[in-house]
Amino acid sequence: MGANSPEAIRLDDNDKDNDEEIEAQIADLERRVAEAKSKRRQPTPTSQSASTHPTLFHPPTAPTPASHFLLLLSDSALPLGSFAFSSGLESYLAHQKPPPFPPPPSLPPLPAFATFLPLSLSSHASTTLPFVLAAHRTHHHHHPNTRHPAARLAALDDAQDATLVCTVGRRASIAQGRALLGIWERSFAAEAGMRSGTGAGAGAGQAALREFAGLLRGASSSSSSSSRPGGGRGGDDDDDDDDGGGGDPPAVAAHLAPLFGAVCALVGLGLEQTAYVFLLGHVKALVSAAVRAGVFGPYQAQKTLASGGVRELIAAVIAREWETPVEEAGQNVPVMDLWVGRHEVLYSRIFNS
Amino acid sequence: MNSPFPKSSSTPGEGHVVVRLRPEGVSGLEACSYQYPLKLISPIRASETKSVLVFLLSYGGGLVGGDKVNLRIDVQTGARLHLVTQGHTKVFKSATPDIVTRQTMHVDLAPNAGFCLLPDPVQPYEGSVCEQTQIFKLARNASLCLLDWVTRGRTALGENWSFVRWVGRNEVWTVADDLPAGERLLVRDAVILDRTQCHRQLPTLPDSMHGVGVIGTLVLRGPLMKSVGEFFLAEFAALPRLGARDWRSDDANQAADTPLPPREEWRADRLRMEKESALLWSAANVRGCVVVKFGAPAVEAGRDWIGSMLVHEGSIAQHFGDHALMCVKPT
Repeated sequence: MGANSPEAIRLDDNDKDNDEEIEAQIADLERRVAEAKSKRRQPTPTSQSASTHPTLFHPPTAPTPASHFLLLLSDSALPLGSFAFSSGLESYLAHQKPPPFPPPPSLPPLPAFATFLPLSLSSHASTTLPFVLAAHRTHHHHHPNTRHPAARLAALDDAQDATLVCTVGRRASIAQGRALLGIWERSFAAEAGMRSGTGAGAGAGQAALREFAGLLRGASSSSSSSSRPGGGRGGDDDDDDDDGGGGDPPAVAAHLAPLFGAVCALVGLGLEQTAYVFLLGHVKALVSAAVRAGVFGPYQAQKTLASGGVRELIAAVIAREWETPVEEAGQNVPVMDLWVGRHEVLYSRIFNS
Repeated sequence: MNSPFPKSSSTPGEGHVVVRLRPEGVSGLEACSYQYPLKLISPIRASETKSVLVFLLSYGGGLVGGDKVNLRIDVQTGARLHLVTQGHTKVFKSATPDIVTRQTMHVDLAPNAGFCLLPDPVQPYEGSVCEQTQIFKLARNASLCLLDWVTRGRTALGENWSFVRWVGRNEVWTVADDLPAGERLLVRDAVILDRTQCHRQLPTLPDSMHGVGVIGTLVLRGPLMKSVGEFFLAEFAALPRLGARDWRSDDANQAADTPLPPREEWRADRLRMEKESALLWSAANVRGCVVVKFGAPAVEAGRDWIGSMLVHEGSIAQHFGDHALMCVKPT
């Protein structure tokens, strides 16, 4: 195949061209099959009369409210401000320049991003995914024992706040969490309430988020004015109560993971879907950061996102954390804390983390 | 009868230490009991010290696969205790991965109490399975200095994060009557190192450590740690910016003529050491605790670094005595 050139490089190129050609052919065939199938399914006016068989007539399936929200929550245009954060990628790249740690010999010379992505995803899942899952479970199953979903959400948020011990990571999580809470309140709540307003559970969930937002406002106004984590960039802009416990941290901080779980549950996303969208969002933010940092271009970015590798990896870390209680969440890539934490000491930065 | 070895308690692996402030204003060992494989020694007469010193040891110098150690510590109002070890805490291989070696410490600090835990690092051997949980409950104005560090194993034998699993979890709680639940979690720092990789795309555990041979976390809280906590934050803020051009090289001769102030000279030395030993660290104020993280390829580089920081700052030695730093003293 394509062996009309003796040169190895040309051969490779031809192979690649060939592969692309085959891919294109496959895509074309698949499209044609799909077209044919859709024609077969389409009822012709003569064979089927809407008046005689009303139940047989299905208009093109409209997405359910849940899948509609799935698309919204997985959209890069969702204004969470994720683009402002590189989750340590920028710092990692800066630290790699003169490698502070010689790369382990067993590690194949992978491009930096290919090394970073799985580590970052794994670390992100081990520190935050249990909180997404727990919040979703709380807000989805309105068992009588979840009597105070707002209190449970606040407790999860507080535990997440205690678990993320890196300033830079906290800043990213809180900024995005607050943005999501804002989107929920201003944009989603009314519609989601109308759609799912049948069960008492959904109403309770809505009330819980409302109450949570109230707690956040209370916390922001009662704590010192400088405790707004999104704004500052110093190492001590979080809570300045380093005086032996005189001041306690605010009641809620609004981290992304628990709020994401709660919001997804309220708009009807399943638990697995929620976990998947949450982690895919992380990968998308990383890939977009890589493009902006000049690691690769937009086609390579989409190729990375489309790869079966990313899909499998997300599924694998979801399976790993499926049963992890939030009390056992933790950092499984300790150097990640160093890279993310040392984002503060970069000379020039294009990202907030 | 005046044996330096305190009496043993009844349940295997259990230990209990109570420290109280004596009327004459010094801290005294009120109770100290332990059971195999745990061993506690308090060699210095309490009446001579501002803080009680207790050695945390184990028979055979390590934990054998499946050992359970459960230490409870009470530091009463205004009293101080510092805990040290003698050499790395080795964790030996478990016969099978489901045999978990557990080391648990539960520390209650009363108002104005102080506790300093600066041990040698834990060294989990190849095939070991270890979970360490340390829970600190601090009343108002209690002070805590906690160092938790773990190494890649016996480098001389080629070990490189070759254990099956290591979990190190540290929880710092604040306890007060006016809190809704009576207590609140401030920091939960957990490191989970597991050689089981859930997907082949993930790097192996040694690869994911990126050449680091020791990782450590230092947590500081309370009035006694205010100075040292601020010191770490200030030194972190003073780190040279990564990626900045170093214009100073031109002025090298000039710098030799004008001696730096002592702290800046020390800092310049330390920064050189950090660079040479490829040590990375960060510090952050998290919910009223200063959390310092560090990692270095060589264990001794990590020890030299943390020791240099704590010795130079000086307040730990001042509040607890020089012995508190014996495991981290630069070599």
